[in-house]
Amino acid sequence: MDTTQLLKGVLDMAVLAVLREEDGYGYDILRRLREAGLEEVGDASVYGTLRRLFAAGLLTTYVVPSESGPHRKYYSLNAAGRDQLTRSGKLWRSFATTMDSLLDDRGMAA
Amino acid sequence: MTVTEQEITDYVARVRAALADLPPAQRDELTEDLADHLTEVAAEAEGTLLERLGEPETYAAELRAAAGAAPGGARNLDQRVASAMARARGRLRAMDTRLGPPLGYATASDFLRLLRPAWWVLRGYLAAMLVTVITTGGEFGLLPRFGGELLAGLIMLIGFVLGSIWIGRRSAQLTRWPRSAVQVASAVLVVFAFAALIQAEDRMRYGDYGYDQTSVDSQYDRVRDVFVYDSEGRLVENARLFDQNGNPIRLGYPDCSEDVYGKPSLRAYPYCPEQAPFVPRAPGAPLQPASPTSTPDPSGTPDPTSTPDPTSTPDPSGTPGPAGTPTPTRTR
Repeated sequence: MDTTQLLKGVLDMAVLAVLREEDGYGYDILRRLREAGLEEVGDASVYGTLRRLFAAGLLTTYVVPSESGPHRKYYSLNAAGRDQLTRSGKLWRSFATTMDSLLDDRGMAA
Repeated sequence: MTVTEQEITDYVARVRAALADLPPAQRDELTEDLADHLTEVAAEAEGTLLERLGEPETYAAELRAAAGAAPGGARNLDQRVASAMARARGRLRAMDTRLGPPLGYATASDFLRLLRPAWWVLRGYLAAMLVTVITTGGEFGLLPRFGGELLAGLIMLIGFVLGSIWIGRRSAQLTRWPRSAVQVASAVLVVFAFAALIQAEDRMRYGDYGYDQTSVDSQYDRVRDVFVYDSEGRLVENARLFDQNGNPIRLGYPDCSEDVYGKPSLRAYPYCPEQAPFVPRAPGAPLQPASPTSTPDPSGTPDPTSTPDPTSTPDPSGTPGPAGTPTPTRTR
């Protein structure tokens, strides 16, 4: 199992988490995810996820004119997004704890 | 930066083509900042977009899956066609930019755009020629004719050329159907032009220019016989023709005469009086045929002063005119 498959389930959460601290535009979010260690995240996946989260009402957007390049569409978390992040964060922690203990029991954790 | 604007545009076009089955609004939403994104990706590192992002179709599939849009799955014919079109368009555009500099322009289409008015004029001419071929039943030269009438053809030519220019200048404002009609008509004219060119080429190669045969050497090559008429309109028989040096002028061949083997230089005209194109007509008298009873002296008497047989020309007045006597003043 590689990271790509794991990512599928948690990309929403990862994107929401990245946006919790600071608003960002598509490419910026992608870069932050990669800097955080999710090297294998695909461009299209991030863009698609942003679209889906926006459509689900978890994100709001605004356009920022740029002097150097094209106008950028910034995404920011709204209240619903924060709630969602909190909920899935809790879910993830319990899931991760379960997985950790499962692996620990078998003596496989690093 | 190794990625061109063009590459980005093409990539976006292919992604959009792969998403062609989505509702337009959703597709626009999914791809609205794709170009900007690609620009940033391109600015970030070396290599082509394909190397870094993979095939546009794969990108589109990933985008679709992540966005939770309806899966593309088996792509239907429309999408495959749209995607193929987008790819072909991309290739054409690349060729366009590559061919431009040798022509001295940024793109080949910049150059071709300058030629458009010339095409409009040519299109008008081709339309006129098509009408020419239709109205004259397949016969055509270089100038248009309307049912064989050159003047009408030229007026038609001017009208068609002006009309073609008018349409050309307004083609941008035309709605879909008129525009398609113009395109189809233009295509028909191009096909017609090629067919006509091939036909003209064949004619040239076989030396038949499509006109009446006119000898290059002498305009008298097609003369078979000579008929001399006097001032009263009577056929002069046994006439002889000489040039300013007294040399006999030989024209035609006696194909009706028995005396084919006689000395041709001494033979008198006409060879075949019964084939005279005009018959003398007296005032008040009915049209009379050229007398078939009289035959020219077959012996071809080399006497330039010989007078034609008066019986040969039916003359109501009964007096043969002296005008029928050829009298060369110089003989050699």
